[in-house]
Amino acid sequence: MSVLSQAQALIGRRTRRRREHTSLWVTAREAFWIALEALRAHKLRSFLTLLGVVISTTTLIVVISIVNGMNTYIADHVANLGANVFILHQFKWATDDEEWLKERRRNLPMRIEDYEFLRDSLPGYKNVGAETQLRDAAPAIRYQGHIIEDTVFRGVTPSMINVGQEEVGYGRYLTESDYEHSTEVCFIGQDVVDQFFPNVDPLGKEILVGGNPFLVVGVAKRIGTAFGQSQDNFLEVPLTAFRKDFQARPQLAIDVQAWSADQMDELQEEARALMRARRHLSYHQDDNFGINASATIMAAWNDLTGTIFAVGIAIVAVFMVVGGIVIMNIMLAAVTERTHEIGIRKSLGARRRDILWQFVIESGVMAGTGGMIGILFAALISWVVNIWFTSAMPLSAVLIGIILSSAVGLFFGIYPASKAARLDPIEALRTEN
Amino acid sequence: MGTQVASSTPLRHNVAPADGVVIKTDNLWKTYEMGSLAVHALSGVTFEIPRGEYVAIMGPSGSGKSTLMNLIGCLDTPTNGQYWLNGRLVSELSDDELAFIRNKEIGFVFQTFNLLSRATALHNVELPLIYNGTPAEERRTKAEEALTKVELGDRMHHKPNELSGGQRQRVAIARALVNNPSIILADEPTGNLDTATGEEIMNLLDRLQAAGNTIVLVTHEHDIAARAHRIIHIRDGKIARDERIKG
Repeated sequence: MSVLSQAQALIGRRTRRRREHTSLWVTAREAFWIALEALRAHKLRSFLTLLGVVISTTTLIVVISIVNGMNTYIADHVANLGANVFILHQFKWATDDEEWLKERRRNLPMRIEDYEFLRDSLPGYKNVGAETQLRDAAPAIRYQGHIIEDTVFRGVTPSMINVGQEEVGYGRYLTESDYEHSTEVCFIGQDVVDQFFPNVDPLGKEILVGGNPFLVVGVAKRIGTAFGQSQDNFLEVPLTAFRKDFQARPQLAIDVQAWSADQMDELQEEARALMRARRHLSYHQDDNFGINASATIMAAWNDLTGTIFAVGIAIVAVFMVVGGIVIMNIMLAAVTERTHEIGIRKSLGARRRDILWQFVIESGVMAGTGGMIGILFAALISWVVNIWFTSAMPLSAVLIGIILSSAVGLFFGIYPASKAARLDPIEALRTEN
Repeated sequence: MGTQVASSTPLRHNVAPADGVVIKTDNLWKTYEMGSLAVHALSGVTFEIPRGEYVAIMGPSGSGKSTLMNLIGCLDTPTNGQYWLNGRLVSELSDDELAFIRNKEIGFVFQTFNLLSRATALHNVELPLIYNGTPAEERRTKAEEALTKVELGDRMHHKPNELSGGQRQRVAIARALVNNPSIILADEPTGNLDTATGEEIMNLLDRLQAAGNTIVLVTHEHDIAARAHRIIHIRDGKIARDERIKG
C-alpha cells in the first residue's frame, strides 16, 4: 500500500470529514422542555429547590419598585425647585425616622404672616414667593363635563413666576392686582391644556375648581418630566383666592431665590436666624421649621436610595448564592439519578459539550422559572405596598429579574454539568436506574 | 460443521485494511491496572470482518467479550494494538472524536433496550440525528422511515412504557439504523425477551443482514450465536476459534 494512503488511513481521513454537530440551539430547546417537565413532575420539590432564587428575585424587584415609587414622591418636592432656590417649610424633606417623629411633634407650619415677615425683613434676596399645594386632597377640576386627575392645585404669590420652574407660554401670569383683589383667575400647565383644550384657545375659558369658576389667563411652557413624573399637570391660582375659596389658613412653602449659588448659604442662614427670632427659639432649641435646598435634598436622597439599594443588594446576593447552591445540589442529584440516561446519550454520539450544555441549560431554566415566580410575588407585594406607601414596578426590573436568576442557574449548574459530561459511557451504561 | 479460518495474521503495524473490510483489529490489548497488578482483559486479538457479514462473538463471562465489544463499539480505546473501522484508524481517537464515530458508524442494540423512558419512540429514534446536527425536517423523515422499516409505524408517539419488550427492542433497532451505520452491534439482544419475541427479533436481524447491513452479535448463548454466519470464540482474552458456519 502506498505511503500516502497509509498516512491517510492513519490520520483517519480527517481532512475530508465534514464536521456536523448538533446545534446548541437544538440542545437548548430539548433541555428546556426536559427542565420544565422535571419541574412539573415534582412541584413541591421544585418549589423548595427554587425558594432561594424566588426570594432573592422578589427582594430585588420589590426594592427596585419601592425606590422607583419614592422617586415619584421626591420629584414633586425637588424637581420644581428653580436655580439657587431654597424653600422654608414646616418640615425638612429628607430626614430619618427619629428626626421625622420629632419634627412632627415640634414643627409649626409656615403661614401667610411668616411669608409677609420674610418678604419684608430678609435682606438681599433676588426673589421670594409663597405657595401652597393640594394634590391628593385636591378639589375636582372640571371643564365642560371632563374631569382630570392627579393635577397639582396650587395657590401662589405672583412672585412665584420668578422663583419656580414655570415660564409663561402665552397669556400672562397672575399679577399683584389679581393677588390684591383675590381674583379668581388661573395659570395652567400644558397637561391641563392637552386634556381640556386640545384644539381650542384656553385663554378666557373658565375651569371649575371644586365648583368655583376660575378664568384661564395664562398657559405655561411645557416643562417635561422629572423622575418619571410629568411636571406639566398643574393649575395655579392667586394665594388670596385660594384662601377665600378653599382654606383660610393654608400651610405654605416659602421659596427664596438667591442671586447666586455663592449667596445661597448666607441667605439661608439669614432666613434661619430671622425665623428663629420670630419664633422665639432659644440658643439650644432646634429649628421648628425646615429649610430645604435642592442640593441637600438630592444628597440626602442619594444617601437614602443608596442605603436601600445596598441593603437590598446584600439580601439579594446572599439569597442568590444560597439559592444557587441549592440548585447545584439538586442538579448533582439529578445527574446521579440520570447517569444511565447520560450513558445512553453518549453511546449515541453525544459529546462532552453536548451533555454539559444540556445540564447547564436545565439548571438555567429551573432558576429562570424561579425568577418568574419571584417576579409574580414581587408584583403582588408591590401592589400591596402601594396602598400605604409608594411602589412602581418598572419593566426593566422584570428583565433584570429573569436574566439574573437564569444566570445564577447557569453558573451554579456548571459544576454538576461538567461531572455529567465527564462520565465514562461504559460505566454509566452499567448503572442501574 | 464449520471450517477453520486462520486466526492470526503476521504482526504488521500501520497496515490499513483493504476496501470492503469494515472491521480490522490488529493485536488488540486491553489492560487494567488494579493497584500494582495488571489485569489483561484482552491479550492480542486480531481479526477482520468484511462488509455485509453476520458475525457472532461468543464466550463465557470473564472471557473478554464485553471488553472487545466496547472496543468495537468505540466506547473505549485499546491499551495496545490498532482498530480500523470502515478504513479509519479509530483506536487512538479522542473522546469527542469517538463520540462522532459512534454516532455515524455504530448502531447499538442493547440487552436492556436503553431507550429514554420519558421520550416517545419517535424522539428516541431521532436522538442520534440530533447529535449530528441533522435539521428537524430531515430528522423526522428519517426517523419515521426507520420505524416503518421495523414495522412500528403506528406506534411512533408511544412512550417505552406503553410498548412491549419486543416493540422496545425494535425501537432500539430503528434507532440503530437511523444513521446508516457501518455495523449493527447487538449485545444479547434477546436476553430480556421471551423465546417467541426473541425469535421475531432474530428474524428481523436476519432481514437486515440480507439487506446489506453488517451485524456483530455478542452473546454467550449458542442458539443465538448459531443464527450468525461466523462465530468468533473468545476465551481468556484471546480468540480461541474463528469458525464459519454458514455460506
